[in-house]
Amino acid sequence: MDLNTYGYIAGGIVFGLGALGAGIGNGLIFSKTVEGISRQPELRGTLTATAFIGVGLVEAMPIISLVLAFMWAK
Amino acid sequence: MDSPLTKGVKNDNMEHLAPKIEVGGIEFDLAAIMMVVISSLIVFILARLAVRNLSVENPGKLQNFLEWVVEFVQGIIGQSMDMKKGRPYLALGLTLILYIFVSNMLGLPFSIITEAHNGHIPSVFGHQLIVPEDTEHLAWAWWKSPTADAAMTMALALIVIVLSHVQGIRLNAKHYFKHYTSNPNIVFLPIHLIEIVSKPLTLGLRLFGNIFAGEVMIGVILGMGWVGIPAMLVWQGFSIFVGAIQSFVFTMLTMVYISQSIVHEEDH
Repeated sequence: MDLNTYGYIAGGIVFGLGALGAGIGNGLIFSKTVEGISRQPELRGTLTATAFIGVGLVEAMPIISLVLAFMWAK
Repeated sequence: MDSPLTKGVKNDNMEHLAPKIEVGGIEFDLAAIMMVVISSLIVFILARLAVRNLSVENPGKLQNFLEWVVEFVQGIIGQSMDMKKGRPYLALGLTLILYIFVSNMLGLPFSIITEAHNGHIPSVFGHQLIVPEDTEHLAWAWWKSPTADAAMTMALALIVIVLSHVQGIRLNAKHYFKHYTSNPNIVFLPIHLIEIVSKPLTLGLRLFGNIFAGEVMIGVILGMGWVGIPAMLVWQGFSIFVGAIQSFVFTMLTMVYISQSIVHEEDH
């Protein structure tokens, strides 16, 4: 295998694992948000806004790994 | 350059080059520099138009919008610190959120691509554009989000982080330095030192990664041809959402970092 092939494999692994972690993280955020809303439905707006901020923070890692994957896989 | 202004042109074989020139050993990305200027101008004109006919009884649409933005930023600051301490950062937060939002939106609607004619590489300001080796498809993309350039977002992040440290030392020196050595004790100093580096890195790369990945994805969808139109609609909508969220997150994290270094909690 030449270096390009390794680049593709590395990109696939790094983005796959990043997406896996972000998926778990987003799932946790939204499960807790739904829980919170069902406990206190009047806080729906605030909780949803906070959840989306959390998603914005969580998404950073997979997106950075996506950029790394694009850099390596070419 | 006599090449046409191409709207959403199908990408033949590979992605377009960034128009870079080398001056004094440093590479300058002309597209990024141009887009920085353009988005600055747009924000400046927007803000000037909004405050042109200020009125209390009969505010214009733009004035209402900008007042809403100011109150929104006040809300962000109020969440992370006392408004009395946070007042000076209102202008900073307003600038950041408007500028980053406009930047994120700029790259979405279309792109400007020039192609080389008969292998003739164009020059700008007397410097020939840099072409990487083994490139046969000579085309440059001149229109992109300035935030899709790592140098630009890292510069923004660096401004913010340096400001937060400077303000911490100026306004809160005793607790600022104590925070490193006794939170909870000296053993955690390396972690605090890593945090100094990782804060600007994640702040800048988060914005860059989101916008850059969005633009690469748009390129991929364009390559799919007619089949990609529904995907393009979905992805454009999602990109607007991501652009708004990221400008908001950047501003919020700015305020959180500043408040972390200037506000002294009584409980430790």
